[in-house]
Amino acid sequence: MTARRAKAEALQATDAELLARVASGEIGALGELYDRHQASVRRFVDRATGGAEDVDDLVHQTFLAAAKSAAKYDGRPSCRPWLLGIAVQHLKRRRQSFAHLLSVLGSLRIGRSATIDPRSSLHARTDVDRALAKLSEAKRVTFLMAEVEGFTCAEIAEALGIPVGTVWTRLHAARRELRAALGDPSIGEEGA
Amino acid sequence: MSKNACPRLFEVEAMRDGRLGDAERASFERHLRTCTACTREAEALEALARAVRASAGAHEDELHVRRERNRLLAAFDRELVRDRRAPRRWWIAAAGVAIVAGTLAAWRVSIGSVPSAPPDPSPPLASAIIEANDAALYSRQVEGRRERIVLQRGELRIRITHPPGHEGGALVVSLPDGELEDVGTTFTVAAAEDRTTHVAVDEGSIVLRLRDRPPIVLRAGETWRAELRPPPSSTPSPTPTPAPSPSAVPSPPAADASKDFRDAMAALAAGDHRGAAARFARFLDTHPRDPRAEDAAYLRVVALHRAGAVDETKAAARFYLERYPSGFRRAEVEQLVE
Repeated sequence: MTARRAKAEALQATDAELLARVASGEIGALGELYDRHQASVRRFVDRATGGAEDVDDLVHQTFLAAAKSAAKYDGRPSCRPWLLGIAVQHLKRRRQSFAHLLSVLGSLRIGRSATIDPRSSLHARTDVDRALAKLSEAKRVTFLMAEVEGFTCAEIAEALGIPVGTVWTRLHAARRELRAALGDPSIGEEGA
Repeated sequence: MSKNACPRLFEVEAMRDGRLGDAERASFERHLRTCTACTREAEALEALARAVRASAGAHEDELHVRRERNRLLAAFDRELVRDRRAPRRWWIAAAGVAIVAGTLAAWRVSIGSVPSAPPDPSPPLASAIIEANDAALYSRQVEGRRERIVLQRGELRIRITHPPGHEGGALVVSLPDGELEDVGTTFTVAAAEDRTTHVAVDEGSIVLRLRDRPPIVLRAGETWRAELRPPPSSTPSPTPTPAPSPSAVPSPPAADASKDFRDAMAALAAGDHRGAAARFARFLDTHPRDPRAEDAAYLRVVALHRAGAVDETKAAARFYLERYPSGFRRAEVEQLVE
């Protein structure tokens, strides 16, 4: 590592500092924040939606919402949990919009099979993706936060605004459904 | 669970999720070294997590990322520009309003007495906070000055704040077999298999209108359940039943329930197991219909178990099993009764 690079890294601003600069209207700071976290947010959203078509839009909305509320950031050195919490809120809103769309189409007497359900648009790429896609979004998001993103149950509860007991419940159910979908024989034993 | 499975199998997942206290964790780690079934379960859970981590994620090329980055920065720039312009527009609007008001005042003076403008006939919208359970499928629509929530299935807990002077009637919940009109303020409603299954009112009152039945008014502390409908020979319509708890007194506001639950969780996290158990017990007494009640009943068992109170743990476990016979943590709690 060159001395210049080491110095640059030592001088690297924390997420909290970058967000403070974003709050004061500095566009470059938002770019730096995006470079730092976009891959992580994109990966999470991509998996949470099963690779839906609107992943780009969800990532875009997440960072834009973060920029708009940057002044309210609580100052923790890493803002990754906070960003994923915002992404989760957008996922929730997206699910509610789809529920509304289904209801409107239902009232027009269009068969459910003809409606656009986000879950049917999941183009799963592997058996694991297919199994993940079968989970409810709430369970999928909780499972991904715990097992892929490395959040503790307390952190997930805080990010999703739910009791920690609900996190445990969702994790247990998600694992059980995933194992059943992937043909784990021990699931049969447990459920017997 | 099969007869050959280890009775401590459920602790594998509990340990993974950080549900075990230090002593329990140490004990289970010792057990894990000698138990084949638990070791196999731990490996299965880890293999599942590894498989999901290894599954295909987003693979975006550098060019695409740059394009998305530029799109974000451009959108943020537009927001900044709009914010900066906003005050100018505000002054223009204010000037316009002042000119119109001045003209009207001058006209009023020239005409003499003018009848005062009628009050705005359209009340402002009520604000609804909705907590949905996992299975809930619902949507929200605004119809003029009224909000409609369409519940297809699952359970919603709804808290409504009406603007002063406009209590009631601003929110309607459409149900598979009828509708529910809010007269204020906090209630839970559930539906399954194309019918309403359960309505419980914590504060205020609601009107429940089900197909082919007269309206039912439910007030604070009252509950209606589909399975509790009396046979047609006795009464023509279901009647509200009082809540099955010491609560002839209405439940405290939801905010208190949240605080009580948080306090109990904080005591548990701080290792005050006795205090946590007492708080969870109080939560169950005070908020028996809260969506977190099952969690509280289970966590009371956990807290007492950690406190080493064997008999009390068994009693709490029996309480859980009686109240939630098909509860989610039945298997774990059953282990503690034996």
